[in-house]
Amino acid sequence: MDFLHHTFSDVYARQNNWLTRIDVRLKMLYVISLLFINLWAKNVFVPLFFFSVSFIFLVTIKIPFMAILRSMFLPLVFAILILLMKSMHEGERVWFSASILGYKFVFREEGFFGGLHTGSKVLGGISLVITFSFTTTISRLCAGLTWFRVPDTIVELMAFMYRYIFLFVDEVATMWIAQKSRLGHISWRKMTTSLGTLCGVLIIRAFDRAERTYEAMYVRGYEGGSILTVALSPWRRKEYIFFLGMVLVTPILIYAGGLGLW
Amino acid sequence: MRYLRRVIILFSIVFLLLFFASENVVYAMHITEGILPLKWVAVWFAVSAPFVGIGIYHIKRKKRAVPSYLPLVGMLGAAVFVFSCFPIPVIALNGMATSHPCGTGMSAVLLGPFVSVLVAGIALLIQALFLAHGGLTTLGGNIFSMGILGSFSGYFAFKIAQRCKLPLFWCGFLAGTISDLFTYLGTSIELGLLVINKGGSFLQATAEIFGVFMMTSQGVLCIVEGAVVGFVMVFIYKRRPGILFNLGVIRDDTKSIGT
Repeated sequence: MDFLHHTFSDVYARQNNWLTRIDVRLKMLYVISLLFINLWAKNVFVPLFFFSVSFIFLVTIKIPFMAILRSMFLPLVFAILILLMKSMHEGERVWFSASILGYKFVFREEGFFGGLHTGSKVLGGISLVITFSFTTTISRLCAGLTWFRVPDTIVELMAFMYRYIFLFVDEVATMWIAQKSRLGHISWRKMTTSLGTLCGVLIIRAFDRAERTYEAMYVRGYEGGSILTVALSPWRRKEYIFFLGMVLVTPILIYAGGLGLW
Repeated sequence: MRYLRRVIILFSIVFLLLFFASENVVYAMHITEGILPLKWVAVWFAVSAPFVGIGIYHIKRKKRAVPSYLPLVGMLGAAVFVFSCFPIPVIALNGMATSHPCGTGMSAVLLGPFVSVLVAGIALLIQALFLAHGGLTTLGGNIFSMGILGSFSGYFAFKIAQRCKLPLFWCGFLAGTISDLFTYLGTSIELGLLVINKGGSFLQATAEIFGVFMMTSQGVLCIVEGAVVGFVMVFIYKRRPGILFNLGVIRDDTKSIGT
C-alpha cells in the first residue's frame, strides 16, 4: 500500500516556490484552457510543447525526476500502446510487415502518425495535470472550486474524502501486514476471505468515525451548512499580469494548434 | 497447429505486457487524459452531469433531515476509495502483477446509485489529479463507465438478487461482479465509439477491447471483487447488522437473509 503515500504526498505542493505562489484560480484557468487546446491541436508540436514546458517547470521547482517519472509512467505506457495499436490497425500504406510464427504484423504509415498524434496529446495533457497537482494543495483546490461556484456538496465531499483516505490507508496497511504475517493470504480462498474481513472492518470503522466526527463538528456549531472556511484573497497586480499573459498566449497557441504541420 | 501458434503468440504478448507494465496496465479502467476527442468529451460530460446533479440533490435533501449524512458519505466514500486501491494479485500470472477493484458496486449498495455516482466522480477527480490515473477531460467518460454504469448495474443486481431471496453473500457477489463487468463494458463502448468516424466497426472494436480487458486479468478480478463484496456484506451483517439496516441495505426481515 506504500505507493499511495508516495504519490498522494502533499509535500511538493506545500513547498514555497514560484508555481505554488500563483493563485489557484489562475492555475485552474490556465490548465483547463490549455487542456482544451491540447485536445484541439491538429499537430504534435503543441502537445509536445506543453509536455516540455511542464517538464521544465517541474524541474525548476526541484520536483524529483523519479516522482515525475512515476506520475508519467502509466500515461507513457498508454501512449506507446496507442502508437502500436494504431500502427497495426489504421491506414493502408504499409511501412513494413513481419511474420512471427505465423502471425503477421503489419505497420502502416497513417496509423503510426495517428498514434503519434494521440500519444503526444496524452503526454501533453497529463503533464499539464501533474504540473497543477504538484503545485496545488487540496485546500487551495477546494477554495478555487468554491470560487468557481462548483456546488458546495462536491467540494465538501472531496475535502472529507481526501482527509480520511490517508487515515484509512494507514489503518488498512497495519491490518494488511497483520493478516499477511498470520498467513491470511496463503491461498486464494483465504486471501479473498481476508480481504472481505479487512474491508468489512474498514466500513464499520468508517461508520463509527462518521458519527464521532459529526459529534465533534456539532460541538463546533455545525448544523448541516458549509464546512469550508478558506477564502481566497482578491487578485493583485501579479495575478492580473498572469491573466493578461494567458489572454495573449492562448490565441497564439490556438493558431499554432490549428496548423496542419504533421 | 496454425491456430494454436496464434493463441500462443497472443498469450505471450498479453503476458509480456502485464509483466513489464505490472499493475499499471490494469488501471486501464479509466480512460487517460488526451484520448477522447473534444466532441466525445462534451458528449460524456453532458451524459454524466444529470446523474451527478441528482446525486447532489439526494445528499442535500438528506443532509437537511440528517445533518450527519455528509460526514457519513464522506467517510464511506473514503473507505470505498481505499478498498479500490487494494492490490489484488492476478491469478493467471501467479501473482506477478496486481490489479485493483472498482468499488462502485459496494458504494452503490451502501449509499444508493445516485450518491454512488457522485462519490465515484469525486474519487475519479482525486485519482486524475493526484495519481495521474484517468484525466480531467476524460472525467465525464470515466464517470459514465465507472460511476453510472458501475453503480446502477451493481445496485440493481443487488436488489434483484434480494428479490429472488438469494443469501446475502450472493447478493453482494452479484453486485460486485456485475458492476465490474459493466464498468469495463462502458469503457469499451467509449473507446469503441472512437472508431466510427474512421470507418471501423463499433461492435467489433467494442468486443475486441472488452475481450482484451477480460483476458488481461480483469475477468478474474470481477469474480474476486464479487466474492470480496459478498464477504464484506456477510461480515458487516454478522458483526454490526445495524449499519446495514440504517443504510437501508437490508430490511429487518431476518428470514430472507441467509449468509
